[in-house]
Amino acid sequence: MSAQDNRAETSDPADNRAETSDPADAPDTLASGPAPDQAVIWLDDLAKTYRAPFTGKRIEALRGISFAVGHGEVFGFLGPNGAGKTTSIRILMGLISATRGRAAIFGQPVPSRRARQRLGFLPEAPYFYEYLTATEMLDLTGRLFGMNRQACRKRAGELLERVGLEHARNIPLKRYSKGMLQRAGIAQALISDPDLVVLDEPLSGLDPAGRRDVLDIIRSLRDEDKTVFFSSHILTDVEHVSDRVAILASGRIRAIGALSELLDDRAQGVEVRLRLPDRAEPAEFGGSAIGAVEDNGEVVATLAPDDILEDYLARALEAGARVVSVIPRRQTLEELFIRCTRSDAEPGHGEVEVR
Amino acid sequence: MLGRIYAFALNTFREAIRKRFLIAIAILVVGTNMFAAVLGQMSLHEEARVARDVGLWSISFFGSMTAIILGVLLLYSEIQKRTIHTMLSKPVERYEFVLGKYLGMAFTLGLLVAVFTLAMASILFLRELEITDTMFKAVVLSYIEVMVVAAIAILFSSFSSPVLSGVLTGSLWFIGHRTPELVRIIDSAELGLFRVVARGTLFVVPDLHAFAISGSTVDGEHVSVHSSFVGWDYVMTAVGHGLFYIGLFLVLAIAIFSRRDFS
Ligand SMILES: Nc1ncnc2c1ncn2[C@@H]1O[C@H](COP(=O)(O)OP(=O)(O)O)[C@@H](O)[C@H]1O
Ligand SMILES: [Mg+2]
Repeated sequence: MSAQDNRAETSDPADNRAETSDPADAPDTLASGPAPDQAVIWLDDLAKTYRAPFTGKRIEALRGISFAVGHGEVFGFLGPNGAGKTTSIRILMGLISATRGRAAIFGQPVPSRRARQRLGFLPEAPYFYEYLTATEMLDLTGRLFGMNRQACRKRAGELLERVGLEHARNIPLKRYSKGMLQRAGIAQALISDPDLVVLDEPLSGLDPAGRRDVLDIIRSLRDEDKTVFFSSHILTDVEHVSDRVAILASGRIRAIGALSELLDDRAQGVEVRLRLPDRAEPAEFGGSAIGAVEDNGEVVATLAPDDILEDYLARALEAGARVVSVIPRRQTLEELFIRCTRSDAEPGHGEVEVR
Repeated sequence: MLGRIYAFALNTFREAIRKRFLIAIAILVVGTNMFAAVLGQMSLHEEARVARDVGLWSISFFGSMTAIILGVLLLYSEIQKRTIHTMLSKPVERYEFVLGKYLGMAFTLGLLVAVFTLAMASILFLRELEITDTMFKAVVLSYIEVMVVAAIAILFSSFSSPVLSGVLTGSLWFIGHRTPELVRIIDSAELGLFRVVARGTLFVVPDLHAFAISGSTVDGEHVSVHSSFVGWDYVMTAVGHGLFYIGLFLVLAIAIFSRRDFS
């Protein structure tokens, strides 16, 4: 029934994109991902303009973003601070209203209480009632989902163990550290065993062990066939859990897709590490190599893709160099991210920014 | 729906009773009553009168002040501490949140009024003074008054800062107790402008005097908690009025609250 609604919505002829000033801005990213009627999360030209209090200055936090997240996906919503990630998530959660565009969860236009019944949400830098213990907080949360006392208690026990807080279950949250609060926040997001889990910056505020634990939880949610939508400005490890990512910058989607699609799989050149005899210069060996001398006396030369490795190595060996390692370079998510986010500050320069 | 409202109510109550502030108020009230007892002993034959007056006055005054403080902070602190993001992203409607919080405050203020009443009653009991149902009628009226004040505080706080809301609610509390004087201005042959202002004020200000009638005239008869007081029918009518005010203020507060962005 809800799918029907959605189909009707997408074919709406009144769909008005005229407000988008630059045709290049027009969102075409709906092509990526599932069809709207199969989407768990669906955004269409979503925009939000805040008005600063007193000055009335307009802040365009979101400038029309469109994409869809399908069932069972782990979707990374990436972007630097201020990109508009939290704004998008707050619209989805019904906390703020969009200035333009539409959004739906499980086919229900937001804000929708029925959609929220099927999702668990961890807010950014979460705050809970600090006078409650973790057990009480989970009990309250469970009650709001219509769970009874026994069900809450049982589930709370399991989850506190899963997030590593069983020892602190009866301590008031005001005595929790930031990392502990983040773990408690994940527990409350999972209390109702939701089909969709939305996590705003779940990795921030955590130490490496905490991050690994959260990533493990995300992986296990995928194994349970849940849909996970999480935002992050930290890229470390994100690539290992995400099926797809969207990169957001200045309120626009810059890239979206599976990492294998987004990242150029071909080698971006080769990195050759050499130990040189005195006075030799790596550039002398030909190609377009750029060299850098490292602390330990080794030299790292980066060859462009069209350089011929064999020739370079032959000349280097001839000159008496010892080859320490030869590593093909591939584009990393970090490079893609930087390219996507830089191109905003200097339009047109994005492509040359990262080789 | 009721389950969720109740969950919010219980949590609000739990929050309030874990605050030191409420204990401070309770101690203040018990202290006031004891002071009244001492004062009463010094005034010959007036012991019962002083104990009742002070006891009932402290329910109305301290109850209303607590209602203002709790009321203006009720939604504000949730927004300020961002707990509202966690709560409203759950499968709840915003009106359920506001109603739950109000109900939780009703429990809290009910407990407080009960403690105040107990303090007054024990002093009367210990001094072997008469405890009549008149007192309980007055207490019921005060409790409704306190709940009306709480609803006003929530309404103001749904669109203005806690301090401003507190000042506005406090002013309404002050004026709301002086409705007979406004009526007198309207009836008198004063300047037309005064009468227009008085009439306008009477229209927007809830008639809190109706809940604190001791010592004034009702239906042409003098009523007092010390001699002949109003009957339960008056109390029930006043409760009805109070519930009407509460409903009105909460509907307005919810309408404003539901349109707000929480970012
Ligand atoms: N309530 C608000 N009023 C005005 N500007 C805001 C408000 N909330 C966020 N912004 C602005 O909107 C932009 C996007 O913010 P946000 O969605 O929090 O980004 P992210 O979560 O990606 O870091 C930022 O420039 C931020 O300053
Ligand atoms: Mg954010």
